Amino acid sequence: MIAPFELVRAGSLAEALELLESDPEAHVLAGGTALVLLMKQGLLRPSRLIDIGGLAELRGIRMNGDLRIGALTTHLEAERSALVRRHCPALASCFGTVATVRIRAQGTVGGNLAHADPAQDPPPMLVALGAVAVLESGAGRREVPMEDLFVDVFETSIGPGELLREIVVPPLAEGARATYVKFLPRTEDDYATVSVGAVLRVDADGRCADVRVALGSVGPTPVRARRVESALRGERVTPARLREAAMLVREEVDPIADARGSAAYKREMAGVWTERALRALLP
Amino acid sequence: MKLDHSARIDAPVERVWAIVSDVPRAGRLVPGVGPVEPLGADRYRGTLRVQIGPVRLDLAGDIEVTSRDETARTAALRLDAADHRLGGAVRATMRLALTQATPSTTDIRIETDAQVLGRIGELGEPIIRRKADRIVSELIANLAREASS
Repeated sequence: MIAPFELVRAGSLAEALELLESDPEAHVLAGGTALVLLMKQGLLRPSRLIDIGGLAELRGIRMNGDLRIGALTTHLEAERSALVRRHCPALASCFGTVATVRIRAQGTVGGNLAHADPAQDPPPMLVALGAVAVLESGAGRREVPMEDLFVDVFETSIGPGELLREIVVPPLAEGARATYVKFLPRTEDDYATVSVGAVLRVDADGRCADVRVALGSVGPTPVRARRVESALRGERVTPARLREAAMLVREEVDPIADARGSAAYKREMAGVWTERALRALLP
Repeated sequence: MKLDHSARIDAPVERVWAIVSDVPRAGRLVPGVGPVEPLGADRYRGTLRVQIGPVRLDLAGDIEVTSRDETARTAALRLDAADHRLGGAVRATMRLALTQATPSTTDIRIETDAQVLGRIGELGEPIIRRKADRIVSELIANLAREASS
């Protein structure tokens, strides 16, 4: 049972921002896949929803050196976009692993990030890719690096009156490779036990020129594996070195015990899957 | 759900005890707590607002000091609060113990045993535990600041 609420359709971005500013208690409705569930559970009883679904300003995928994905782009659109596939195939396939096809066709890229569920797929991949969130409010626009967007479980640094407008994904450096892997021991549409987004660039001498690794489902926010990164940067990447570095992630994650495994098991799996992700990126 | 917090505070034990044994004053150190009104006989009424992402809990209820030992500097509290809008309640007992570490520092231990009932429980224990843990940690940090200033 959903409690009665008022639905206001914003006709433009400016109108949506005005509505947000005038009613800080209002919630924003995009694809609704997370919001409506919380309302059905009775955990959320908003008196007003601002439907931003019609805002053309938040739609579409563009390239201007960087890839810019409008917040209202669905996961399915992002997965199938020729621009996304050309810019970063790993990102396209990451969007293609979100939940099920029905949810991918309904849920939006921006809504998924604003919901800040630590078990979601795009956040760790976008952190690894060094993506940036563009936030818009009546006061103007600001850009937040993806890893600073996530503050806690279901909490972001999107302030009152702010709307996530688009995400910006810089191009991969020449020779860099990216991947996204997730461990699903139960069913294909389950939340991951652990997931890993990684970018690795190995130079002609076989040394790690750059690396970025971020994990999902093993902390309140995506976890950037900085110890793993610094153990590899500048080093010759042999399988043994890769394994040794990957295992350092066990000290960086903070998993919770649930039906997908104990905290100790998830910690161990974080090491195993970080190694697998990085190994897949070796030239 | 059981939580156990310990910390060392840079203030003499008498000073810390004076703050924590004054329930309305100690209440002001808990993030999200509204004014705490005395009801007499060491019972109080107050509110606690907790935000977990988009979900906001407005808990209203009673606090009762069930035991208080001025010499040992220990106390026990019972909290019973409900959110009628969302449908759910929190019942908790807290045991507080202060010990003098040095003449100018105090060890504090807060043991909390909380039950979360009704719809609020749908958030899941790990999330609730993390939030409760943060509230108690902030209480101790605020207490340390107030006692040492």
